[in-house]
Amino acid sequence: MAVSRKALKSLSGVYGVTHRQPLLFPSTLGCSAILSTRSAYERDYRRPGQSPDTRWPWQKIHFDFSKGVEGIKKHIGLLKDEFVQRWTGPEGRPLLEHMLEQTRVQWEFRGPESLDQWVVSSDQEIGGHSVAYTKLGKNNTTCFLYGSLCSMPPRDGETRYSGYCTLRSKQPLASFDRKKTYDWSSFNTLHMRIRGDGRPWMVNVSVETFFSHQRDDIYSYFLYTRGGPYWQDVKIPFSKFFLSSRGRIQDNQHVLWLDKVKSIGFTLGDKADGPFQLEIDFIGLRNDLAHTEEFAYELYKRNPEV
Amino acid sequence: MNAPRHLFRIQCIGCVTRFLGTPVQRVILPGGAHLQTPGSQHSNGQFLRSFHCSAVCTTSRPNRTEFEKAVEHPTQHKDKSLITHDDLFERAARDSNTKADFNRVVDVFNKADIRRRGHVEFIYAALKKMPEFGVERDIAVYNKLLDVFPKEVFVPQNFIQRMFNHYPRQQECGVQLLEQIENYGIIPNVETKVLLAQIFGEKSHPMRKYQRIMYWFPRFKHANPFPVPHVLPGDPVELARFSLTRIADDLDAKVTIYQYPSTDITETGQEVTRPHILGIQSPDQRSLLAKHNPCRPVYVEGPFPLWLRKTCVHYFLLKADPIPPEEKVVEEDVDPELIGPEQSLFYPQRVELDLERDMGDDESFYVDDVEEGLVYAMCMAGQGDQATLSQWISGLQETCPILGQIPTVFRLESGPRELQTSSDAQQTPEQEVEIDQIIEDEPQRSQRVN
Repeated sequence: MAVSRKALKSLSGVYGVTHRQPLLFPSTLGCSAILSTRSAYERDYRRPGQSPDTRWPWQKIHFDFSKGVEGIKKHIGLLKDEFVQRWTGPEGRPLLEHMLEQTRVQWEFRGPESLDQWVVSSDQEIGGHSVAYTKLGKNNTTCFLYGSLCSMPPRDGETRYSGYCTLRSKQPLASFDRKKTYDWSSFNTLHMRIRGDGRPWMVNVSVETFFSHQRDDIYSYFLYTRGGPYWQDVKIPFSKFFLSSRGRIQDNQHVLWLDKVKSIGFTLGDKADGPFQLEIDFIGLRNDLAHTEEFAYELYKRNPEV
Repeated sequence: MNAPRHLFRIQCIGCVTRFLGTPVQRVILPGGAHLQTPGSQHSNGQFLRSFHCSAVCTTSRPNRTEFEKAVEHPTQHKDKSLITHDDLFERAARDSNTKADFNRVVDVFNKADIRRRGHVEFIYAALKKMPEFGVERDIAVYNKLLDVFPKEVFVPQNFIQRMFNHYPRQQECGVQLLEQIENYGIIPNVETKVLLAQIFGEKSHPMRKYQRIMYWFPRFKHANPFPVPHVLPGDPVELARFSLTRIADDLDAKVTIYQYPSTDITETGQEVTRPHILGIQSPDQRSLLAKHNPCRPVYVEGPFPLWLRKTCVHYFLLKADPIPPEEKVVEEDVDPELIGPEQSLFYPQRVELDLERDMGDDESFYVDDVEEGLVYAMCMAGQGDQATLSQWISGLQETCPILGQIPTVFRLESGPRELQTSSDAQQTPEQEVEIDQIIEDEPQRSQRVN
């Protein structure tokens, strides 16, 4: 959700910031609407100087008959899957397979439709100049994220920092656009096969929360790439993820609860201006029995103390 | 509410001017971490409250120089202009941008006005100018900037002040300074803490910020499994060696320096600079290259980018196209009858049973491997042209004589290219035709058969 502006982090400084406050500068609405990573139900980030969207809700509706028919087909199909799959087992797999599952490939990239599950965005959302694109790798089995980072803040007089590029998975939807979540509670480690260019990234996991003021909470950890022509297997235990909200690490930390995961994201913001690239082979989950840590940060001690 | 305080302070200044001849009392206790308790501030610091000097200030007091006089002179008329402090730094930056210059400007400001009027604006201006002077990663300079704040004026004295945001502008400025420290990834030291406690008190916002930094920074200090030093080696050969060993990811891999950078002057008087050429190859890569089918070409590709913090270096690869499925050699099973010299006679070479495994203990991922060509060697060179890289190939031939029989194709681009474009899985005939055309058309990209 707000993954994009979460982590303007440097290698060491994790509490990045986007300063958002009221308006100064006029700008177009359309541009940010395209780039936005927010879903239709959430309010968009309003740049300083941007006029609010005053259109009525019905003015935003584009009626299209063929689109409607397609939508009905899709949703009925999804509904049918929901009913039929239940007879096979949980999540459409046999029960034994579900119970003995130690690893799961959550995202892999096969064909152009797999890229539709992802949203790529950059600080153009807040008026910056970074650009980011995704495409499939040459043999259509990887996701290639590339672009150029520019950390010059937009000249609106209010935004102080800029320069991020982000890739975020869309929240899965059941039939009739009901939100679904992933249940990863049987795993404890995130496993990725990536190939970067030596830049540090940040992995963000956002989970379903109960209260609306927790909407911007995400759990993050660093993803360091080695660079070079070889693939790199990265295992990050979920216990290491720390809680941050709106780009600031929170004082009161909490363990990442994996039973309702909404999305995963990758953010680059290392303030090194220039081209970047990250190639992702797959993103999987594993149950690492050797890893017993529950949470890597102290919960018994207040931070700051007293 | 502040009026009586101001009156009191004016009185204090009167008191203190009497003490000016004597050395100003220090409030740092031995050990540094023991900070003054609020109670003792009341008893001890009451009439010294209006201004205190700290260790940084008292220890470094250079003599008045020409420069200081030059900078100081216009500050006498400070009240007339609107922006003064930016100006102060710009005037200093005109001659040279060093740490000493920066410190001198801060000293000049400290001496200019005993009340440090306008210190918040000065600190904001200084923070902005720090990268220009190259001191943005120096904690001593940040401490010196913090020292510009008058001491103990902003410390809340009673619970009402403590409850409300006491001197918010000054606290914001302090937080901003700490945020810049944080953004540049430097760890503050005890002196910072002592200064913050003196200036803003024990539970102020800047103090909290300091505590948060000190909580999180040490946790993530060594999180990077591939660390890069903050100051990279200046020598290009050393830099290339560092980056090659980083990307090779193999302890057996050996860096070979094929050519040192040098400048020769020929008889005609022309200067010929020879770029450095460094290559890295592991024994595995060498044996794989020896098994390469000589009918299929190998490619020199690049330049590919590699980022080491804020610097970007480029490297080149010697790689082959992925082996087509019909040519793939099926790995022959090890014959159990075949016994090597190290093979014990009492145990079989391979046990098929895996007693430790249970039904669900399959830890592999069901994904197809990405089909890519093998990488045989990597290289970094001062120049990315073909002549330089063919020197690298001829250097490689000494260890891998098979390279003499394999056609080598240079697929170089002027700018850095994406890593994945090289990894064509199934190269279609069309693409190969394209490459041939390129080779024919451009003499630069010629096919070199040794």
